[in-house]
Amino acid sequence: MDNQIYYEDVAEGQEISRIEKRVTTVNILMYLSTVWLMDRIHFDHPFATRRRGLPNVVAPGNMAGDYYAELLSGWAGEKGNLRKLSIQFRSFMVPDDVLTCSGVITKKYVSEGKGYVELDLWLKNGNDVNCVPGKALVELPIRASATT
Amino acid sequence: MKESLLDSLGWRKYIGQETSTHTGEPVLARDIRRYALAVDDHNPIFFDENAAKEGKYRGLTAPMGYISWAVGVPGSEKAAKDLGEDGLATFVGVPEIPDAWTLGWVRGGEEIEFIRPVYVNDRVTVRGKIVDMSEKAGKSGSLIFVTSEFVYTNQDGQELARHRVTMIATPRKES
Repeated sequence: MDNQIYYEDVAEGQEISRIEKRVTTVNILMYLSTVWLMDRIHFDHPFATRRRGLPNVVAPGNMAGDYYAELLSGWAGEKGNLRKLSIQFRSFMVPDDVLTCSGVITKKYVSEGKGYVELDLWLKNGNDVNCVPGKALVELPIRASATT
Repeated sequence: MKESLLDSLGWRKYIGQETSTHTGEPVLARDIRRYALAVDDHNPIFFDENAAKEGKYRGLTAPMGYISWAVGVPGSEKAAKDLGEDGLATFVGVPEIPDAWTLGWVRGGEEIEFIRPVYVNDRVTVRGKIVDMSEKAGKSGSLIFVTSEFVYTNQDGQELARHRVTMIATPRKES
């Protein structure tokens, strides 16, 4: 019944689970109004396209951080924890993009009795562009110490 | 030798400068729900206090990215007519460089270290500091990278997160 993933279960080079996120103009509006962000590139189509030369209005880049947090919190399970997340804004996420969000384990180690994994992350749109590449540090429970 | 843009702007003196401290109003359950809906994360810990308490949380918690908005952007609550034409009121990440507007800015990236969850009704305080500035040659002139660090604490003085934001300044194309 235990769906929890443990430090012993993972290996460097292993790809983790994936989620798909579809960002719509409605999601963007919900985000902007909740955090009170009025940057016109996110909602004013003529401004975004004619003044800024963008293909469309664009999603706030920070939404990518929440997509990664959802991915990694789900993957790490109840006993795991997302400790650190870094993201780089490379390409804009635009409405109706379907973004595939996943990552690969680059390193695993134990420090002070806790298991840690480092990951490289991607958030790819339909053109296979990694819009907001990321890196994360996730703490995973150690099975050996859980049973003692 | 080409003159450094950072030197000609005289911005190096801002490295290490602390920015003012801000404390937000209590975090609302409504804002947590709306934020979770915006990012389409339907985990019940954001919507149902009991679900959160059945897990590892002591109350309703927010999606992790919410921490950077828990205080609100200082100075952003202005009438529409008082915002810049791009809709922005202030710089996120480059506070208190008076002539920052002479350049164009984009967000480069950010890093968040998560220490403790934020909970409903928390009053979050943010302290900011400009920790680094550097300069690189770009295609259309120099690029300046400004990294600020924000530390978020709750009403009990416990650290919730450390957040580093890198903003990139470029010479303005439009005038």
